Amino acid sequence: MKISGFWIGIVLVLAAGFVLAGVADNQFLFFAGYVVLQGLIMAVAWNVLGGFTGYVNFGSAGFFAIGAYTAIALHQFAELPLLVLIVIAGIVCGLIGLGTGYLTLRLRGVYFAIATLAMAIVFESLITNWDYVGGSAGAYVITPAEVPFFDSFIEMMFILMLVLSLICVAVSRYLSMSRMGRGLASIRDDETAAECMGVPTLRLKLISTTVMGVMMGVAGAPFPFFVTYINPLSAFDLLIAVNAIAMPMIGGTAVWFGPVIGALLLGTIQQIVTVTISSELNILIVGVVLIGFVALAPRGIVGLFQDFARKRRGGGK
Amino acid sequence: MRFFKQLVLAIAALAVVVAYSPQVSAQSGKPIKIGFSMALTGVLGAGGKSALIAMEIWRDDVNKKGGLLGRPVELVYYDDATTPAKVPAIYTKLLNVDKVDLVVSSYGTDVIAPAMPIVMRSGKVFLGLFGLDVNHKFKYDRYFQIMPAGPNPAQDWSRGFFDIAKEKGLKSVAIAGADAEFAQNAVKGARANAKQDGLNIVYDKSFPPSTADFTPILRAIQATNPDIIYFGSYPANSVGIVKAANELGLKAKLVGGGMVGLQFAAIMKNLGPGLNNLVNYDFWVPAKTLKFPGIEEFLKKYQAAAAGKGVDLLGHYLPPWAYAYMQVLGQSVEATKSLDDKKLAEYIHKTTFNTVVGPVKFGKNGEWATSRALMIQFRGIKANNLDQFKMEGTRVVLKPDTVKSGDIMFPYKK
Repeated sequence: MKISGFWIGIVLVLAAGFVLAGVADNQFLFFAGYVVLQGLIMAVAWNVLGGFTGYVNFGSAGFFAIGAYTAIALHQFAELPLLVLIVIAGIVCGLIGLGTGYLTLRLRGVYFAIATLAMAIVFESLITNWDYVGGSAGAYVITPAEVPFFDSFIEMMFILMLVLSLICVAVSRYLSMSRMGRGLASIRDDETAAECMGVPTLRLKLISTTVMGVMMGVAGAPFPFFVTYINPLSAFDLLIAVNAIAMPMIGGTAVWFGPVIGALLLGTIQQIVTVTISSELNILIVGVVLIGFVALAPRGIVGLFQDFARKRRGGGK
Repeated sequence: MRFFKQLVLAIAALAVVVAYSPQVSAQSGKPIKIGFSMALTGVLGAGGKSALIAMEIWRDDVNKKGGLLGRPVELVYYDDATTPAKVPAIYTKLLNVDKVDLVVSSYGTDVIAPAMPIVMRSGKVFLGLFGLDVNHKFKYDRYFQIMPAGPNPAQDWSRGFFDIAKEKGLKSVAIAGADAEFAQNAVKGARANAKQDGLNIVYDKSFPPSTADFTPILRAIQATNPDIIYFGSYPANSVGIVKAANELGLKAKLVGGGMVGLQFAAIMKNLGPGLNNLVNYDFWVPAKTLKFPGIEEFLKKYQAAAAGKGVDLLGHYLPPWAYAYMQVLGQSVEATKSLDDKKLAEYIHKTTFNTVVGPVKFGKNGEWATSRALMIQFRGIKANNLDQFKMEGTRVVLKPDTVKSGDIMFPYKK
């Protein structure tokens, strides 16, 4: 039986994560790593709909926040284990994603993008006025001081986020490389032509929006346990939505590993800049790099490398 | 070889000079690092910057006097951009990588709360700057918060306002608050006070924090004809409320309460006479009753340092408290002659500190043992004049009675 390099890579990354958790004393690495991985899941999720299918979602922060607030509501209700909260948050956001998919029956292009933004605003208003989850005043989560098998809670959160990231990357790769991925690409390139050729566009779009919703919900569910205090302002933060778009755009939207490259690069730079220069500079960096890539390399880093490789091949002939 | 001998002699001479120089020897140890994140950008950026100026003034004052425990003080800080998600990583870095000796908080509830679990697990004493009731969930016995809102912050905050209403025999109240953390806590407290005093609540609604035009809201309130109107609002809302109230000729006997922004120099200057007769919370204003030792010297230094930095030029609202929470920490270190967090916490619990904002005594939950949230009234304000707010009498302290500086001008509008 042949095992592909991808799966070997997944096992190696996971093993590296466990080794890091075992040997690293510096807890800052886990906090910073958690934020980078959270960004990675959001970027991969956004790319499933935005990159593979060509439907731009401006409401990423809404899905993320719904995931976070589903976890808060269930935690207030019964203090369920974090894994259960993540699964339920994924299902809730998946269903909302499915609903978003039906929007595509009537809305395309910029109208769909605006509808997703409006949806996030609607959800923010609902949460702001829902006292059970803290309303506008916010909600606190007390995290345990000790967790089994790990030295600290954040170490456990980091490994959890790493596992979730790898699952999301694997799902995204499967979607991109399978027959379904080719169907999504045909929708992105010309939806009407795809429909005429017999591609089940609605079904594929529904799968795409649902997978996107599940992934974003999964990214959001552990967030209240990471920050321990959450309010609508921080959960629906515009920067979450901006990063979710910027990371795939910078990495490259056409392939599954584009958002991974973009998230690791941009997320790491943001973490370094926060503790060296200024947090506010993050936003400037995201903006400038995004404008730069959109204008000069619209296919992202992956596209740049592909062009470079093509030129070299051409030169060698 | 000759050169080597000369070098050794020079070093020895330098060592003698250093040893006999009290100023230098007093600060020759390893610096005491005080770490914190600060909201230097983002929503609370302007306030955070002014707090940092105050903290740097404290650091310079302490270092001029020989530092703490004979060691110079160093501030290690990072901008949290008023973003809660950034705070856990910053405090972890401060404690694990920068190895700071002491920690204090950023400015505001949103960015204090995410630091709590990290600080609690390290067992560090944690001084908070303007967090509203952060400790009610965490119940951390080494947390101390400098804003004088009292042991039951949400309700104590507006107690003075409702005491005035009670003294004047007012019967009905309208409550309107922005849909965000502080404002909702403020109106929750106001609601509790109104119910406690048996007032008839004739209007009780929220508005989005982005609201700027308050004409429709004030018309709706006016239609209920309340004696009292209590607002819980953010700076942009507060400006809109004051402007709309003057344009509409809002008629109520007592108006104001929990309006953030009416303490800031630029907004007070901008609103000018429109502020007259409003009764609002504050924490320090120029008044005979609030002239504590060191406050005037501090404000002079602050105002000189703040010029041209795009921060509040008067520095009456947040900076004295940022200076004071560092004073509490510094005085505790000096008194216990230690950086041991257990000793520091015990000392802070039992001590009344003399600071630029007056005597500070913390209660069990780390909030002030008794509230000293002021209710002040704007009086005789003229247009376009910032200097008038440096004088006594433009903001008269009505409550609490212990620091009262004048009587209320009543009603708000005849």
